[in-house]
Amino acid sequence: MMASHKRILVTGGTGLVGQGIRAVVEQDPRADEEFVFLSSKDADLTDRASTKAVFEKHQPTHVIHLAAKVGGLYGNMKANLQFFRINTAINDNVLSIAQETGVRKVVSCLSTCIFPDKTTYPIDESMIHNGPPHDSNYGYSYAKRMIDVMNKGFNQQHGTEFTAVVPTNVFGPHDNFNLEEGHVMPGLIHKVYKCKENKTPFIVWGTGSARRQFIYSKDLGRLFLWVLREYKETEPIILSVSEEDEISIKEAAEFVAKGFDFDGEFQYDRTRSDGQFKKTASNAKLRKYLPDFQFTPMEQAIRETCEWFTANYSTARI
Amino acid sequence: NSVVLVTGGSGLVGKAIKYVVENGSGCKNEKWVFASSKDGDLTDRASTEAMFLKYKPTHVIHLAAKVGGLFGNLSANLEFLRKNLEINDNVLFMAHKTGVQHVVSCLSTCIFPDKTSYPINETMVHNGPPHDSNYGYSYAKRMIDILNRGYNREHGRNYTSIIPTNVFGPDDNFNVQEGHVLPGLIHKIYKAKEEGYDLKSNTSKPFTVWGTGKPRRQFIYSRDLARLIIWVLREYKETEPIILSVGEEDEVSIKEAAEQVAIAMEFKNGFIFDTEKSDGQYKKTADNAKLRKYLPDFKFTPFPIALKETCDWFVENYETARK
Repeated sequence: MMASHKRILVTGGTGLVGQGIRAVVEQDPRADEEFVFLSSKDADLTDRASTKAVFEKHQPTHVIHLAAKVGGLYGNMKANLQFFRINTAINDNVLSIAQETGVRKVVSCLSTCIFPDKTTYPIDESMIHNGPPHDSNYGYSYAKRMIDVMNKGFNQQHGTEFTAVVPTNVFGPHDNFNLEEGHVMPGLIHKVYKCKENKTPFIVWGTGSARRQFIYSKDLGRLFLWVLREYKETEPIILSVSEEDEISIKEAAEFVAKGFDFDGEFQYDRTRSDGQFKKTASNAKLRKYLPDFQFTPMEQAIRETCEWFTANYSTARI
Repeated sequence: NSVVLVTGGSGLVGKAIKYVVENGSGCKNEKWVFASSKDGDLTDRASTEAMFLKYKPTHVIHLAAKVGGLFGNLSANLEFLRKNLEINDNVLFMAHKTGVQHVVSCLSTCIFPDKTSYPINETMVHNGPPHDSNYGYSYAKRMIDILNRGYNREHGRNYTSIIPTNVFGPDDNFNVQEGHVLPGLIHKIYKAKEEGYDLKSNTSKPFTVWGTGKPRRQFIYSRDLARLIIWVLREYKETEPIILSVGEEDEVSIKEAAEQVAIAMEFKNGFIFDTEKSDGQYKKTADNAKLRKYLPDFKFTPFPIALKETCDWFVENYETARK
């Protein structure tokens, strides 16, 4: 293999983000890059021997580490111990075996939900460890935070280039559209689909005024590849649209309705909680590196996702 | 009938627990097992399991850890993080798997947030990043508290932890590079006596204490800590850790500590202060209000007596002491 040739192992390669990266890679392949997308069928990353075997099989030069035990709010509250232990095992196995087998660069995936619960906004990359995370998912959050601590340790001790990204709310094809477990955008998409099918009114929980930064999985995929190829810092980087491109839940719901050409009734159940009004993450670091990066317009990204959902309803995760 | 397994049983704190158990703190139906690295490799799951199956503990005092002074830590944060995460996960997992209901683990005041207000208390452990010099060790220890929370909420266990301030006593690590401030002073004064002590002559070498001597610290005698750990094991029901320390009023300045060590070692030359050297932080007071709420009448061994016992032990055991 030529020194410049990259073989990139993507753990968790069949999930929302993995598929986003895959879509970008297939659209715009590079001659010096080869990708291997792993799923749980290929290895049990909680098991060291299994992880070692998959690294020895593929001999990667780089790793995009997306694999994790994840779950929505209800999954998390009762199972924080599991989420902590399983994710800690996965992360330790992947990072240490990557280092042992000579992988120079690993890009892992954190999440804005791991930030301190009591904090000022906008949140930025320097604030991750500044206080305890929300109690409902402390297990998942601390395990993810330890990725950042390990990145620092590996880089200091072994001269590797381990780093991480922090996306805001990701959405796109291949998401988990389960209404209990999924996040807000796939939840809206699944609901509107059903309302259209059953000809029932679409009821949005809350006033619709809460504002969020969403990032389309294909845009995240393009940015992930940029981080893999160019980003040199140990400190993570937030990957998100800017504050001015936050949209309200109402706007998101309206885009979803348009995405399905849904012209049925729209209601807001104001008895339901809005959650936090804003949770703005600063993308100043990203903008410093990539001032000209264009995100897919929200309406188009949502429409593409709705169309994918319709076309793939029978096999989608619901 | 209980069986108490003490991991790290041959260290400073472990030996102190052994001492107090053999001198009045033990109970009739309690069997104590003091495990050391010779009994098993706690970074290895199978080895840890074998230890638990062999001793069948009903209780665990978990002291074993990869520790090191400042210089050990700076270049090896990764090792300290990974090895300690491994040890802690293995011990707590095996404890849970074999039905141990009570585990008391050992944290440290050095794992608290670097930027913080004082006095520090038990609620503040996770309120910010630890000092950068030993972040690996600190985060691994903090994760014990996270695991405790998980085992307790998910499985109804009573796994908790204690936070001692500066422990000292027999069987410490008296290595001047790696050890902590009191054992360091004791060893240095021992050597100063050997090298330059001469009452009658004027060529006696003064002993030099680094810094101004003004910083104040809370010290806890290992045997007092041991009695408190046994109380925690038997009586303390909270998941949240408990700081085990003398109160703020019993803080001692480095100057006072050096004077007491000199008295205990019968070193009469006095000392000078090298004020060019850094003092470190002036005060790092830890709040022992929670301890005092539970045990208002607990009496700590007076500092001069505790120091004398420690110095006497060091002189008597100089050949075999860790240094």
